[in-house]
Amino acid sequence: MAKTKRRSVLKLAGGAAAASMGGMAAILASGRMPAFAQQRTVHWLKWVDFVPATDTLLKREMMPEAEKALGVKMNLETVNGNDLQPRITAGIQSGAGADLIMSFNSYTHLYANSVVDVSAIAEEVGKREGGILPYAKAICSNGKVYMGMPWAVIGGMIAYRKSWLDEVGVTKFPDTWDGYREAAKKLKAKGRPFGQTLGHTFGDAPGFTYPYLWSWGGKEVDASGKVVLNSKETLESIKFMQGLWKDGMDEGGLAWDDTNNNRAFLSQTISATLNGASIYIETLRKPDQYKTEKGLPMNKDIQHAPLPKGPAGQFGFHLLQSNMLMKYSKNQDAAKEFLKWIHTEANYRKFFESQKGFATPCTAKWESDKLWDVDPVMAPFKVAARLGQAIGNAGPPDAKAQEVLSKYIITDMYAKAVQGMPAEDAMKWAEAELKKVYV
Amino acid sequence: MAVTALSAAESKRLSPRLRKLEDERWLAMALLAPTAILLGLFIAYPFFEGVLLSLSSARVGDPGHFVGLKNFHKIWDDSIFRTTVWNTFWYTGVTTVFKLALGLWLAILLNRHFKGKAIIRAFILLPFIIPTVLSTFAWKWMFDPTFSVINWSLFQLGLITTRINWLGDPDLAMTSIIIINIWRGVPFFAITLLAGLQTISPELHEAAAIDGARPWARFWHVTWPLLMPVTLVVVLFSVIQTFADFQLVYVMTGGGPANATHLFATYAYQLGIGTGLLSEGAAISLAMFPFLFVIVVVQLLYIRRVETR
Amino acid sequence: MIEGALWRRWVFYNIPLILFVFVLLFPFYWMIVTTFRPDGELYLPWNAPNYMPFWTNNPTFEHILYLFEETNFARWMFNTMFIALVSTVISLFCGVLAGYALARLNFPYAGGLGTAIFITYLVPQTLLFIPLAEIIRNFQLGDTPWSLILTYPTFLIPFCTWLMMGYFKAIPKELEECARIDGASRWKAMVYIIIPVAVPGILSSGIIAFTLSWNEFIYALVFLSSPDQKTVPVGVTSELIRGDVFFWGPLMAGALLGSIPVAIVYSFFVEHYVAGLTGSVKG
Repeated sequence: MAKTKRRSVLKLAGGAAAASMGGMAAILASGRMPAFAQQRTVHWLKWVDFVPATDTLLKREMMPEAEKALGVKMNLETVNGNDLQPRITAGIQSGAGADLIMSFNSYTHLYANSVVDVSAIAEEVGKREGGILPYAKAICSNGKVYMGMPWAVIGGMIAYRKSWLDEVGVTKFPDTWDGYREAAKKLKAKGRPFGQTLGHTFGDAPGFTYPYLWSWGGKEVDASGKVVLNSKETLESIKFMQGLWKDGMDEGGLAWDDTNNNRAFLSQTISATLNGASIYIETLRKPDQYKTEKGLPMNKDIQHAPLPKGPAGQFGFHLLQSNMLMKYSKNQDAAKEFLKWIHTEANYRKFFESQKGFATPCTAKWESDKLWDVDPVMAPFKVAARLGQAIGNAGPPDAKAQEVLSKYIITDMYAKAVQGMPAEDAMKWAEAELKKVYV
Repeated sequence: MAVTALSAAESKRLSPRLRKLEDERWLAMALLAPTAILLGLFIAYPFFEGVLLSLSSARVGDPGHFVGLKNFHKIWDDSIFRTTVWNTFWYTGVTTVFKLALGLWLAILLNRHFKGKAIIRAFILLPFIIPTVLSTFAWKWMFDPTFSVINWSLFQLGLITTRINWLGDPDLAMTSIIIINIWRGVPFFAITLLAGLQTISPELHEAAAIDGARPWARFWHVTWPLLMPVTLVVVLFSVIQTFADFQLVYVMTGGGPANATHLFATYAYQLGIGTGLLSEGAAISLAMFPFLFVIVVVQLLYIRRVETR
Repeated sequence: MIEGALWRRWVFYNIPLILFVFVLLFPFYWMIVTTFRPDGELYLPWNAPNYMPFWTNNPTFEHILYLFEETNFARWMFNTMFIALVSTVISLFCGVLAGYALARLNFPYAGGLGTAIFITYLVPQTLLFIPLAEIIRNFQLGDTPWSLILTYPTFLIPFCTWLMMGYFKAIPKELEECARIDGASRWKAMVYIIIPVAVPGILSSGIIAFTLSWNEFIYALVFLSSPDQKTVPVGVTSELIRGDVFFWGPLMAGALLGSIPVAIVYSFFVEHYVAGLTGSVKG
């Protein structure tokens, strides 16, 4: 493996040098970029999967298979999730880049002008698999076209250390916010706080703050698009968060990105955190490395629970991933063929199984798949795609809602409050920012 | 001052093309042409385009239309932008003062003869040479909330009992990036100030010493004024670079926590490239320019005044 | 220079100097230690017992191997080197010519042009990157090394010009006049007499330009997208932050190895680098 890598690196290096020299001459001569070989290629840009096994599977097995099956050169690239949006912008701005780009949540709406309609593929897959779930449909389609092909939903649940909660007398994970705060308080006193990020992350921060806001009855906008964030319910939620943060949370959480809570949990400095299933899956992957302080494998001590109920109900905000086919792409047909290929049951199943339940597919039939019966610890995740509520509530999850998300307004509202800003002011600040978007 | 022109006889001997080159103006144009083309194409033109962009409502994938100064009004109202302006000035101001003070101190320390001087001088420039992104990662690891080696050291020394939240607390985060910027800039200041110090003839110091001046007075009345021109130029370079800084903040904090460390450049990037609001991002970038211009003009005037004194 | 007791020397000079050197170099040491430290030792929290951060007894090459096998690191090094070299050559070419013109030739607007070139130095990359992306697209240079090779000179040329102006100004006119009297054309005088004398200045400009190219980030971040086109700073930033498990080992390895070429080149030309830096400040 290493030898071929080295050889291909050298080949690339030599080829690149030659191509560049030739390229320079050609550019100077013709004033245009030289035309490259005619082979069709598809460049797929996706996030670095939080389950490393999937990326390995895709890169080492599935891409070569696709190449053989479709006669197309596949170029799979993975980037940090936070970098997807900049890449999309840079690609659209410079008119060159990946053909298929993974979208989070409502990027599909935000970039609707720059993508190709993939309804044909979506509808075919939906028909085959019991229908595309409403959550995915609302995000990927604007009623007329599908801006993205739904890929998967990353469910977020609270991962917690059963034995530690038992030690402070909490035998079932609290399902009210008061119970949550009590438990966190007791555990923080023992040096094992709960941990949550309030930083600028695409996953864990909104995954916590949005459903938290909704569970108290707070909303960004009403159905007609009027900003209704400034409300008694929102204020309550902020005040509670301020208390909760001091009492029970790891205060470093303000600086955390989506990886910090994983590391904190795995190095046993926190006892519970909202996350995708990646923490648990990591402990399954390396049972010898992750042991509890008593010497037992940590994966036996981890359980999952949904976010607690608030006065207005219990909610979850799960990350929806889809794939957008960019308008600037010169390989649109090949890309469509690839999408169809990877969504065939046999191929998609490989992806699904490598995720071990970290990702929930967007069509109805996978919910009853036997994968969910394998490990009871993962069972809560199977309904993520069905139960998720989307951003921009109670309006549609459209470009404006995505802009609010991309600007981290809701997360910042809580972040400011826990740093000392009075709750009223934080709420007013967020309201003003929202009004600028929902103009 | 031009070199004397050739006599008529000599010019006749040359071919017409070479004769053209003799004409200074033609030669100058020919020599300056490559520079002018490159800079015109990739600085002047984009600058102009950037101004147009900031006056439009462009978003990614949507060229938008002319909206006048609306973007500038919007960002002026934006509390995050105001925080950014404050952050940038504070960051630039504090780091420059410390870089100058520490750099000068280090230059004085190096301004002697001792064994290994050349090696030390070579090594201390490393923070400045190494690509900023890479050295910033080393610092990020050193400040990590859970695994910080700095926290470990302070803990072992008994100076702290709970961990210092370097990157999670807004003020500490700003302090952290200030520390790294100072770390990176001190060598630059030190080496250039050292060169400046070395041009000050020792006789001046001896003369002052003979006259009874104490070390501090010697420094203040002899060294400092003579060092002023070099100091001002170094400060000028440093201020420009620091004001427009991007890499350090992008890697360390991304502008957080809660926008506490956003600078012009990082906020422009987040809005323009991250969220796709190109026109607003361009407006923020452009907002840098007047401030930079004023700072530079003031310093240039000061330099000119000092030099003609 | 303070003469005097030994303790004075130590307290006022040597100890502060040692502290400075320690603080300036410690992060690099940290990089090195982390690169060779196995994962099991890396992720111990700051107050864990038996934690030995400054040394490891089990050095490992696994991070470096990971870097080369799982990422395009070698390709990034090649890209960065290529881009830096070509940009430096272009900038030197333009800078030497422009510096000579501004320093030695008499023509209208000389002062104005000099100021104009200086002003372009004031325009930071972070101001231009958004509109430049569009221009790069119009030239169809997106995602190719040429997008950088043609744009890096924008901040390298002003610096080179400025530096070379200083060097050229310092060369006595007599040298050129002698050559002219001997019958050489202006062009020949420039190429055969002046430039060879200014070689130290050219070397200095070249070294500084080279290190500045390696240090550029935002253009590379925005104009390049494919993993095999990236430069080292962009590659390390975007591809070694992988998922939930932060790959600090390979990240530090990437930072370390990415710094080495610049450090090596610099170490050969320290004198010239320092001379260039100080020359630009004086000039």
